[in-house]
Amino acid sequence: MELLIAIAVMALGAVVLGAALGYASIKFKVEGDPIVEKVDAILPQTQCGQCGFPGCKPYAEAIVKGEAEINQCPPGGDEGVRKLADLLGKEYKPLSAEHGEEKPKAVAVIREETCIGCTLCIQACPVDAIVGAAKQMHTVVESLCTGCELCLKPCPVECIDMVPVPETLDTWKWKYPVIEIKPAEGRKAA
Amino acid sequence: MAESLSIEVIYALPGKQECVRLKLPEGSTLQQALEASGLLEKYPDIDLKKNKFGVFAKLSKLDTVLRNRDRVEIYRPLIADPKEVRKQRAAEGKVMKKGAGEEGEAA
Repeated sequence: MELLIAIAVMALGAVVLGAALGYASIKFKVEGDPIVEKVDAILPQTQCGQCGFPGCKPYAEAIVKGEAEINQCPPGGDEGVRKLADLLGKEYKPLSAEHGEEKPKAVAVIREETCIGCTLCIQACPVDAIVGAAKQMHTVVESLCTGCELCLKPCPVECIDMVPVPETLDTWKWKYPVIEIKPAEGRKAA
Repeated sequence: MAESLSIEVIYALPGKQECVRLKLPEGSTLQQALEASGLLEKYPDIDLKKNKFGVFAKLSKLDTVLRNRDRVEIYRPLIADPKEVRKQRAAEGKVMKKGAGEEGEAA
């Protein structure tokens, strides 16, 4: 009799745990590869192409595939590299100089008295932030402008300026705490 | 007419850009979007006859039928005369960059 009870208890346990595991595998199923999305979320979405890829998403894909380094994004800055290093478990590297340097966030502003309505900046804008048409005034929509500077070069009359965005309560961000790690004094580094 | 279009109407001024999001019935025209946006009342400067309008940087007529997710743009006239700006730049010895040629002919 005792033998039968023992077998029944073990069998019941197996059924209950099996059901729990089966339920969990359906409920917590992971769709696809979420890591690209996570990398893309860290990137600043300026779509400026300074990393050498056509936009932030292709760069994110390249990072995950191991085809690109994590330090090729100047608009993301030092903070961006640190976050990527954290996420991917890679070594932190300073921003690579050949891809440009970190600048304060700025938006493009068109000098209206010089704009000739040529639409070249509109074609260059990766985020459709410039309103205008042929021989009509062009205007940058501040809330859409990512500060990628891609419109500066095509302008035939050089009427676009980058104006830095002042830091306000809405745009202020926590700075990454920088604590240097040094060997303790009086002791030589091993 | 069951389906609806998501339309943005945008009027960009140098300091302030007005953007209105609308839901319009299928088959709506550019003019209907402008009227529904309320921007015509807010900015009496906008004249349906004088100002030009367009969808995503393409000049369009008022009776253009809109498509879903179109951005209707209200344009303002240029301040500068393109010819004058080019002459000035030439006088200052600055070179017009690539792409300027075809616009020069049009202007």
